[in-house]
Amino acid sequence: MSDVQSAYGELAAARALEQLPSFSPGQLTPLLVEGKGEALEPALRGTLGEGVEGVVGQLAYTRNKTFRFQVTLTQVPAATAFAPRVFCIRRGRSTRDDEFYGFETRHSKLWTESTALNERYEIATSPYQDPNWLRQLFSPGFVDWLGTKPPADFSFELAYGALLGSIEAGDPGAEDLAALCEATAHVATRVREECEE
Amino acid sequence: MQLNKVGIGLIAFFGLAGTAFAIVPILVGAPGEVAGILASIGVIWVLVAGGLYWYAKHQEKKAVHNDWIFRQGLRGTATVLSAGSHAEVNEMPLMSLRLELDVPGQGTREVKRREIMPVFAASRMEPGLVLPAYVNPEDPDDFVLVW
Repeated sequence: MSDVQSAYGELAAARALEQLPSFSPGQLTPLLVEGKGEALEPALRGTLGEGVEGVVGQLAYTRNKTFRFQVTLTQVPAATAFAPRVFCIRRGRSTRDDEFYGFETRHSKLWTESTALNERYEIATSPYQDPNWLRQLFSPGFVDWLGTKPPADFSFELAYGALLGSIEAGDPGAEDLAALCEATAHVATRVREECEE
Repeated sequence: MQLNKVGIGLIAFFGLAGTAFAIVPILVGAPGEVAGILASIGVIWVLVAGGLYWYAKHQEKKAVHNDWIFRQGLRGTATVLSAGSHAEVNEMPLMSLRLELDVPGQGTREVKRREIMPVFAASRMEPGLVLPAYVNPEDPDDFVLVW
């Protein structure tokens, strides 16, 4: 059994998660699109954090070189009405090595007053969104949490209600996976709260 | 669409290298045939850079116009009636959408729209999906689809 499988086995035992042979999430977010529909393997399903159900698994794909991400996927359908797309990506993250396209779909960079947040992440949203809702989502408390608490290589993508948290560790321990689950659950809860406001 | 860092690099590369190909052989007195071939390549590259630059500026202008519609336009909804794609641009589907546009005060009508979308967005464009839309108050055919 590989180290990655051991880590997932340990996490499954500690959190009573269901072990899946593999899980095909579909091309729901930009990172999953980069993965060209590759299944998550190993994969576990169950409670990621308090009140948040989802799947955690390893996404591996080749774009000139092989990329490995540990990802968590959950759903926040209510977010679609407020912000179809919100991407909070660690600065400097690379998800492919074969892109030479000079044009991309339009997005808006979200400006925040937090230097720590701006130094750590690039935050982008779909254009023509309610700026007040986005400002409320990125409340001072959430901004502070994003800047200090999640794993160092954490990023998240919220696209049409699908929330994908991810870390770049190719050889994670069970504690790294647990931290990823907790961070994604925290983001999901925060988005849900703001949708209900 | 918007220009990214790769695009800026491509424009700079084709523009500068093309100019160099067109001019340097003449300046250094290269044989006529060689200078002619290199100049032809150079001109093509400069045209490519010019085309990319024009497209980027066109998209920038369109974005400014769409921003204006978003701020000043009438808010309505667009219900997807059908969606399909037969072409891709930069690995993104060029979606052909048939929509029912419903704007308060203007009633409902069927419109068509083509949009280049990332795969994860294109896969969500199914009949029945309701999207926000903003319509130019001076031109009902001019609208922004929020996706």
